[in-house]
Amino acid sequence: MDAAAEKNTFRDIGSFRQVSIIAAKDFSDRFRSGWVIACVLVWLGAIGLTSFFGMLQIGQIGMQGYQRTVISLLNLVQYVVPLLGLLLGYDLVVSEKEEQTLRMIVAGGISRTRLLLGKFLGGCLTLAVPLTLGFAVAGAVIGLAARDNGFGPFLKLALSGLGLGILFLGLGLMISTFSRTRVQALVLALLTWCLAVFVFDLIVLGILVSTRSAAAAQEIEFVCDATHVNPAADLHSAYNNVADEPARAVAAGTTTSMAWLAMNPVDLFRAMNLPAQTGIRVSALTAALAVALWLAFPLGASAWRFNRTDL
Amino acid sequence: MNSYLEISRLTKLYGTTRALEDVNLRVERGNVLALLGPNGAGKSTLFGCLLGLTRRTSGNILFQGQPFTDAARARFGYVAERVSLYPQRTVAENATFFVRLKGQPVAEVEQQLERVGLQHARNRQVRQLSKGMLQRLGLAIALCGRPELLVLDEPFNGLDPALLDTLQSILCEENERGATLLISTHTMSAVEPLATHVAILLQGRLAASGTIQELRAKHGEGDSLEAIYHRIARQQHETEGVFA
Repeated sequence: MDAAAEKNTFRDIGSFRQVSIIAAKDFSDRFRSGWVIACVLVWLGAIGLTSFFGMLQIGQIGMQGYQRTVISLLNLVQYVVPLLGLLLGYDLVVSEKEEQTLRMIVAGGISRTRLLLGKFLGGCLTLAVPLTLGFAVAGAVIGLAARDNGFGPFLKLALSGLGLGILFLGLGLMISTFSRTRVQALVLALLTWCLAVFVFDLIVLGILVSTRSAAAAQEIEFVCDATHVNPAADLHSAYNNVADEPARAVAAGTTTSMAWLAMNPVDLFRAMNLPAQTGIRVSALTAALAVALWLAFPLGASAWRFNRTDL
Repeated sequence: MNSYLEISRLTKLYGTTRALEDVNLRVERGNVLALLGPNGAGKSTLFGCLLGLTRRTSGNILFQGQPFTDAARARFGYVAERVSLYPQRTVAENATFFVRLKGQPVAEVEQQLERVGLQHARNRQVRQLSKGMLQRLGLAIALCGRPELLVLDEPFNGLDPALLDTLQSILCEENERGATLLISTHTMSAVEPLATHVAILLQGRLAASGTIQELRAKHGEGDSLEAIYHRIARQQHETEGVFA
């Protein structure tokens, strides 16, 4: 190898180039498989239908404005987006480990941390494209059809929904690096989803009731509002009756309740997007801290594990 | 003076199983080392440690006197025993991906595909390739960027005579260019014309190593590599009960 080529090689290896090649390849694989297009269509359909039929539970039908759509979409996003993130993340590493293509990549001189970062960014891109397209197109249609200019809550929902998906993609990646087989990774991913979306809230409420039942009534109501325990119909009713029921709002979350919510990204997402009628406020600092920790933990654990794995 | 590649006291444990035990090996630039041994002797594990695929339990591997880095590995070419590529992508796409990842010029892909006789199949999906074609593609990818060290894990397995001849010619050319070759194989007749040095691994331990001439002088003048290998393995068996 001549000196110029050698110099060129080292410059490229030392740059972000390898990460972007891995990320682009992963996104391209998903795009070719039809995953991205299918996801865009499903997401568009889900948002459109939810916006149109979202108030069926309280006896109304028709295209809603942004704020109503956000209330209707909360459950859909909190159930589907974490699942999408986990389903994308769980086989990012383990499938290529099983196929032994990772051996070829690592033998080519890419550091494992850089490889993992490329995989994660490729997954983020694969998740972000359909979600962003879905929210953007559906948001434009809702705005035009409902003649609504107040897209702030909808934008907040879209951004926090994307963030929620990325956090669960990170968890999926962690599962992928710790699993021996694809099947094991899939099972763990589905268990994680059940835990985050269903089980965690019940455990929290159980703990609150059993440890501080007398004093915790307000906290329980607060946590119920912030979790799936309170269905969309209740929120729509609250939206309609806000003038009659100002006392329903919980004035401010206690530190304990906030801590519980921050322990589960799904609850945090929901709490961030609940309308003002419920009185729940998640400070930007709490949200940023929770997101940083929820991203750093799985990515750090994945890098630690992957650097200690025999391929 | 430092050796080009120096492996010292390399040990790898899988749980309580010793895959490699205290292996010491030196390879000089331009050598062709044939790594011989039965299945499970630790040949692939040794290559895995060298290429950063397997974590060593203890010991050192130095490349030109320095510990291995990922950037150094980008100057290697590796042909795996089972060439694993992306089945839904074409021959050219697979080659381009790995070559770009190593920071090598993509233009060389066509040249190497032609060299291994795969130019006509460049747009075919990898899942449609035969095992021999897959091996050739693996070799073409490894050859891109004129690697200074080529690591080939059982490269002669399942090749027809014509392909075997092509592979031997290419490896000869690479060695003449100045590349160092590490070849693990069971097909000793195929590696014998190429090898300058031999290392024999038996149950994770280095049973013998040296130039072919040195081994012949010690274990049987005029014998083939295969005959020498069997003699060493038998002696090891008798003295240490290796195959017991």
